[in-house]
Amino acid sequence: MIRDVPILQELAFVILGATAFAFLARLLHIPSIIAYIAAGLLLGPGLGLISVSYGIEIISELGIALLLFVVGLELSLEKIRHVGRVAVVAGIGQVVFTAAGGIAFCLLLGFDAIESIFIAIALTFSSTVVVVKLLDQKGDLGSEYGRIAVGIFLVQDMVVVVALTLLSGLARYEELEGMAVAQILEGVGLAFGGMGILLVAAAVAARWILPPLFAWAASSQETLFIWSLSWCFLFVMGAGALEVSLEIGAFLAGISLAQLPYNHDLRRRVHPLMNFFIAVFFVSLGIQMEFGAVGQIWFPAALLSLFVLIGNPFIFMFIISRMGYGERTSFFTSVTVAQISEFSFIFAALGLSSGLIGEEILSLVGIVGLITIAVSAYMILYNRGLYNVVRRLGILKVFRADPEGDGDGAAFRRSEHVIVVGMNSMGREIVESLRREGLEVVAVDTDPTKFAGMDEPVILGNAEYLSVVEEAGIQDARLLVSALRIEDANRLLAYRCREVGTPCAIHAFDAEMAQDLRRLDVAFLIDSREEGLIRVAEALQEGGVLQS
Amino acid sequence: MTTVALLLLASAVGFAGARALRLPAVPFLILAGLILSRLVPLPEDLVGDALVLGVTVMVFVAGIELNPTRVGRQRKAAFQVGLLQFLLLGLVGGGAAWLLGFDWQTTAYVALALTASSTLVVIRVLQQRGQLFDPVGRMVTGVLLLQDLLVVLLIPVLTRLPDGAGAIGMGVLGTLGLVVLSSVIHRWVAPRLIPRLGRDEEPLLLLVLATLFLFLGLAWFLDLPMVSGAFLAGVALSPFPSGSLIRGQLNSLSDFFSAIFFTALGAFLVLPSMGELAQAVGLAVLVLVLTPPLVTLIAERAGFSARSAIQGGLLLAQTSEFSLVVALQGLVLEQITPGVFSILATVTVVTMIVTPFLATDPVTWRLMKLHPFRKPRIPQDPPRDHILLAGCGSNGISLLEFLVVGPRKVWVVDDDPAVVDQLREAGVPVIRGDVSDSEVLLAAGVKEARVVISTIRRTEDNGPLLDLARGRLALVRTFEGPEADWVEARGGHPISYASAAAESFLTWFRDESDASESDVSESKASESETPRPGTS
Repeated sequence: MIRDVPILQELAFVILGATAFAFLARLLHIPSIIAYIAAGLLLGPGLGLISVSYGIEIISELGIALLLFVVGLELSLEKIRHVGRVAVVAGIGQVVFTAAGGIAFCLLLGFDAIESIFIAIALTFSSTVVVVKLLDQKGDLGSEYGRIAVGIFLVQDMVVVVALTLLSGLARYEELEGMAVAQILEGVGLAFGGMGILLVAAAVAARWILPPLFAWAASSQETLFIWSLSWCFLFVMGAGALEVSLEIGAFLAGISLAQLPYNHDLRRRVHPLMNFFIAVFFVSLGIQMEFGAVGQIWFPAALLSLFVLIGNPFIFMFIISRMGYGERTSFFTSVTVAQISEFSFIFAALGLSSGLIGEEILSLVGIVGLITIAVSAYMILYNRGLYNVVRRLGILKVFRADPEGDGDGAAFRRSEHVIVVGMNSMGREIVESLRREGLEVVAVDTDPTKFAGMDEPVILGNAEYLSVVEEAGIQDARLLVSALRIEDANRLLAYRCREVGTPCAIHAFDAEMAQDLRRLDVAFLIDSREEGLIRVAEALQEGGVLQS
Repeated sequence: MTTVALLLLASAVGFAGARALRLPAVPFLILAGLILSRLVPLPEDLVGDALVLGVTVMVFVAGIELNPTRVGRQRKAAFQVGLLQFLLLGLVGGGAAWLLGFDWQTTAYVALALTASSTLVVIRVLQQRGQLFDPVGRMVTGVLLLQDLLVVLLIPVLTRLPDGAGAIGMGVLGTLGLVVLSSVIHRWVAPRLIPRLGRDEEPLLLLVLATLFLFLGLAWFLDLPMVSGAFLAGVALSPFPSGSLIRGQLNSLSDFFSAIFFTALGAFLVLPSMGELAQAVGLAVLVLVLTPPLVTLIAERAGFSARSAIQGGLLLAQTSEFSLVVALQGLVLEQITPGVFSILATVTVVTMIVTPFLATDPVTWRLMKLHPFRKPRIPQDPPRDHILLAGCGSNGISLLEFLVVGPRKVWVVDDDPAVVDQLREAGVPVIRGDVSDSEVLLAAGVKEARVVISTIRRTEDNGPLLDLARGRLALVRTFEGPEADWVEARGGHPISYASAAAESFLTWFRDESDASESDVSESKASESETPRPGTS
């Protein structure tokens, strides 16, 4: 295009930086989030190459929206309803305790009252984006502790909205001459009212609007995908109009789609897009960090980091175990709040711009953010190991939580089953025959209508996606059969099977494919043309045509 | 964020319209964007960003899809058809633009924009009709890939035309440099690196995007258009298995950014004036009327039957998303006016909408009737009480060998010149022609045959054969259930290839399982390892 395209230049720095650091992190087994933030630190505060432009901001916001959308798709109103009580109690309870404890700690460290309030608020909120991304990476979003954590963060999002409303009301107190209280109450009322409206809209849509609409478009994957993204952004726009956070809007959009049969497939398709945007978000987070006054406040920053890393989980564990959850679940949930949020930077930046705090406080928040996000990333990713260590040390006894069995229940893993991809006539006949013989068969197709009348297990998805064949259990399967008449997909399936050592039988519907497939060590080539011709010959024999 | 949301919502409406009318989505997305911009003012810079990102990702993905193996044995035909269509349409299109009064620079842009047919639209039509892997489908795919490549390679030349030969030379050299780098990565780096990351989706995606941005950076450095960098980045990552492994990651990015691109393009469009509209219609008619006979002529010379050649021509009768890329490039560099951009966008929208109506069997048959040389050679000694094999192909040779040793004579109808030559050399009576052409079937003695066998891929092409063979034993290849019902309703006897294939697989599977079980019992006796069932 034109020679200087700012958005492409900025993205080039972001992506190249993120890639370089991500690969380094992969070698050193460092969580990718830390790699992205480190890339941002280098590009921004380090080398001063870029700042966060409007375009990058939008892409970051898209990432956050898609992340929460994916969470909503994973869960359902049913799943989230169960954790409503604990989410509200723990979410609000932790805010109160951390804020109070934070203020006291800051006063002890020698900060003045206003600074202590700002720092305490900054320490109170945990990062929805960081935690949800990590849970998604681990595949634990659907677990009990994952759902509680998501519920808590959404409650905290509401608290943030209230806090921001309070903050803007307080800032305009003198201006409004006492009308501020009414304004604040109005703002809070609007926020909760808005949330209510969105909830009702999500529930009504989930029940009456979305199922017929999406069923109509089901045969076109592209249409389904774009519609689901549009639905997400429609809710985000609605959330914006109703003064509700975009996270809640996106989450509710996802929840409303979660009960459709395509939710898993949609989640798979949204994932790469979300990964791209979220990587940009984390890099931009690093770019925006300010460490101007780091020399002066590194010590209190380190102490406050410890307060967040240990204090927040401690408070949480106390609350959640009191509500009857087992020790393991309580611990895993508590560990998710051991970091501060990206909102903390917004608070601090607001405080700096309104002259209430100095630059050193902003730097302090930046350092605490960096340390807590980095350490908590490890804590969440290796939570099982950490739990075993802490448990052995006997620290958890003080919470007197109920012990739970080890493991979340081993995830169900099929083995020695047959996977059949492509529910055309041939695929269906193979599935039905094998099932009649008592074998476990997983059927895969992109078109939900092709599963009509078929028993489970079936997977709706494109077998070209790794996650689809992994969900089908390709590694442990006895055999993978592809009945597809799609050359590229068949070759890829043969390749994947070879890579994991699973035999495969592939439909070579065209003579040109056979050579390629033989090179990929296919166990059996299903040559429909050859077999069909044999049948023709048999029919001719039976018809007496071949006699004079 | 609101702008992105609005563009996406508009694209959702566009998709709904396309789905309802069963037409390609692209023109509806453009129209949706156009309507959106009239209803809601959108910030120009954000729409511009959306266009830039959208076209970059779209062209990048097009480069990844540049895989000659999809063309199979039709490479030579695809090359001939693609190159000649490109050159001839370019010449005629340029001539028409000149006659319409455009300056030389605009003429060059119009010429290039008219040469390319739409990969997005045509591949979708081929997929819907199940013809993607037919010879004509492969040929058309090859034509589209070649044209995409030619357009992208010529854009740097086009944009430098005003700057003279020196600048053009530098542009060509720079492009060649990128081509070399792309080839090196394509041949040696991607096949080794990408499969290693195959299971790690996030780093894989980042690596893919980093490659894109690296090439964009190089294009910027060499003062080349971004689209050249994006396309060649895609080509670098296209070889199997890399291209297939990353397709899953890129599908959603591609869908998202393509939707945003076309909608943003519509939002960007200025409505053409009446004069410009007339010019657009004229150019659209030129493409629609000229492409089919041009492609038919070249494809027939390359060995295709009249019907397949005409089908190919009708499928390719539209301009492309790459035409829009060319036009956008010209607009941004101020080498064409917004009016010309609107003309080219209108041509693209109109021809894309018309394609599904044009590329149908009834239209093909009507054009066949106008074909001057389609009459089959009538054999001097017409057959009777014979076996008529309609559609032999290379697979059918084994059936033929089985049939010729029987007591009845076998006559073959096939439109593949290679197969026809092979059969003639073997002394098998064969008529070169289309199996769905009644005159060809009558010449082959369909009414006098003892039995008629059709092995052609598209069951629905057997209509004339089944009508003419009524009362005789007519064995017809089918795959899906509804195809078998269709054949039976017309008095034919369906031979389910799907069922035959499933049965052969199940026989193999049972044999392998039995062999494996007996190995297990032997090994239990002798305590040795067993192979897994189903392993060859």
